Amino acid sequence: MSAELRRARSRQMIIFLLGCGGMVILLGRLYYWQIWQSGPLTLLANSEHTQNQILSAPRGLIYDAQGHLLATNVVRDDVYITPLQFSSDFADNYPAELSTEVHALHQVLPSVSEDQLNQDFGLSLQAVRVAQQVDPGQSQRLRDLHLPDTFLEPQTWRIYPGGDLASQILGYTQGDKGIYGIEAKYNTLLAGKAGSFTAETDLSGNPLTVGASSEQDPVKGTDLTLTVDSFMQYFVQNALQNAIIQLEATSGTVIVLNAHSGAVVAMAGYPTFDPNHYSDFADQKGCVGSEDVYLNPALFCDYEPGSTMKSVTMAAALEQHVITPDTSINDPGYLNFSDGTPTVHNWDDESYGKETMTQVLQHSANVGAATVATWLGPDRFYPYLERFGFGQPTGLFDPEDPGGYRTNTSAGWTKSDLTRQAFGQSITASPLQMARVYQAIANGGAMMQPYILASTNDNGHIVTMKPQMLRRVISADTAKTLTSMLVSTAEYNDISLPNYSLAIKTGTATTQGLSTDQTEASVAGFLPASNPQFVILVKIDRPQKTIYGGTAAGPIWKAIAQQLVLHYSIPADQQVGTQ
Amino acid sequence: MYGLKAQTVASSKVTSKSAKPSLGVLPAQRRRHIRPFFFHIGPVALCIVCVLLISLMAVLYLSQVGQVVTANHQLQNIRNEQAALERQNQDLVDTVAQEQSPAYIVGQVQKMGLEPVDAKNLWVLQVPHLQEIDKSNQSIQP
Repeated sequence: MSAELRRARSRQMIIFLLGCGGMVILLGRLYYWQIWQSGPLTLLANSEHTQNQILSAPRGLIYDAQGHLLATNVVRDDVYITPLQFSSDFADNYPAELSTEVHALHQVLPSVSEDQLNQDFGLSLQAVRVAQQVDPGQSQRLRDLHLPDTFLEPQTWRIYPGGDLASQILGYTQGDKGIYGIEAKYNTLLAGKAGSFTAETDLSGNPLTVGASSEQDPVKGTDLTLTVDSFMQYFVQNALQNAIIQLEATSGTVIVLNAHSGAVVAMAGYPTFDPNHYSDFADQKGCVGSEDVYLNPALFCDYEPGSTMKSVTMAAALEQHVITPDTSINDPGYLNFSDGTPTVHNWDDESYGKETMTQVLQHSANVGAATVATWLGPDRFYPYLERFGFGQPTGLFDPEDPGGYRTNTSAGWTKSDLTRQAFGQSITASPLQMARVYQAIANGGAMMQPYILASTNDNGHIVTMKPQMLRRVISADTAKTLTSMLVSTAEYNDISLPNYSLAIKTGTATTQGLSTDQTEASVAGFLPASNPQFVILVKIDRPQKTIYGGTAAGPIWKAIAQQLVLHYSIPADQQVGTQ
Repeated sequence: MYGLKAQTVASSKVTSKSAKPSLGVLPAQRRRHIRPFFFHIGPVALCIVCVLLISLMAVLYLSQVGQVVTANHQLQNIRNEQAALERQNQDLVDTVAQEQSPAYIVGQVQKMGLEPVDAKNLWVLQVPHLQEIDKSNQSIQP
């Protein structure tokens, strides 16, 4: 083989190898793009001509007991401009076009200043939101104007037509998530199930629904019906607000329960908030200025219940036959203990002398209650606190503070705890827990589970909640006896409603570390006493004009009772006269 | 124009005259005599018919695509209309709910110069020998 031929072959070989190398590189690149990057590139290509949408499910509605809407949804538009597109579309005559555009937008959206709009158009951004949640009229005017490079983006909003009506029951929503109250507790039910929509699009981006498209309809959220009566809720809220302003109090709570079922008829706190504008209330505090105004004070604002607790002490003693209504003690106005337990004084330091158990309740005598507690002893007293549900959450909705108390098995417990717990100190409870206690007494000793959800409607599938009995805390006889004692207490305290018997107990609780005129005044009871229909608890925090339960909370309790009688046409249970 | 039988006879005659006929001639003759349809049709005519058929199919296809696009457009319009109506309905429901709310009613009543009923002024009348209402009466159940 000649040298020239060998060179030629070598060249051929080099060319062949180069060709092979090129092929390998080409195959490598092919593998990279076609196989390795196949997934992302396919998605990218599909996204150019395929539209994927998540169809949000309409949130379930919330109704009151009469079927009035408490929470609904509306669609409102947000207004966007596209500054970069606008500057490129009108590059030739930008200042004049900008002026026209800004003027037109300002005419429709007077809340957005022309300066602000000019500033927004000057931003180097693809899209800028210039207005949020514009009303339907403004949306229509903007649509009619056909302004260039301005578009409307519809958004669904949660609306509470009653404003602050039952706001601390309902809570509010952020996006699709319920915050506080019913919105939070039943968020999963209310939210529904989002759907999806996939379709090819035309050149303008319009979905071609006739072609290959798939659609999964969203499932609307479950509608909820509450046990709350809007009318009574409104009345209670107004009455509470007026009382707190008039008494120069810090805050307050009112609860109205159905005496037989435990259903919440009204539950109000003050201060309160408007869930349609919840962010405006972020700096406001409820519950004696200690908690966010969004929290429901009936569940979260626990307190020392004071003398309203004496009913529990009496119930425990009556049930265990330790006392009868006529059992009498000598009340010198104080009670000393030989074992070093601090002396107990009556709230007014009054000496009542010989007094029956009924009179102990009438006088709201701490000495009498402490004496009964010492007769009972911890072993017979604490089981009844547990039966009445102290220290246990009611489970109505979160957040809830169940309060608590020391028992003889707790560290640091002393006999002083026992004697003070008998008249509502050294124990904390939420207003709803106290209302539940009086519900049990009103219901013949059967404690019902407080509930606020009456029924659910899951797209036609209706489920009605039934009242649930938690437990029997005292016998029907004991409940009847105690009721008659509470009726006497109401009469003694001059809290009366013509032709109706009332069973109530007042409470004036002080807080350790605060002066004795900084009280939590409360009244708890039910009516009519012979056939209880409703339980009412009123609690006023730190009233300044008058500090006692009977004088601060009593009038509002009576006003609510009168309204209940009128609203529900409750038959009179006493000899009728004229007023 | 020959019938199939005549052509077969003619070809057999040619075969008998020449023992080794040219291989290129026979297939050409056979191709010409292929009858894809039950009637005679020449290649030019066949081509024209094919073009016409394809054109017709294209027209039909385009017509269908046009109808689909129109239907899609109509569907989009209907959907937009449905969304607008749903939105309008939600607004109306909200308006009704607002106007049924106690605060609104109280406001309107006060504008009319009326005052709320004071329960303290309630008169209870006793009707003698009236039977007690059934306790399951729903009117007193919240």
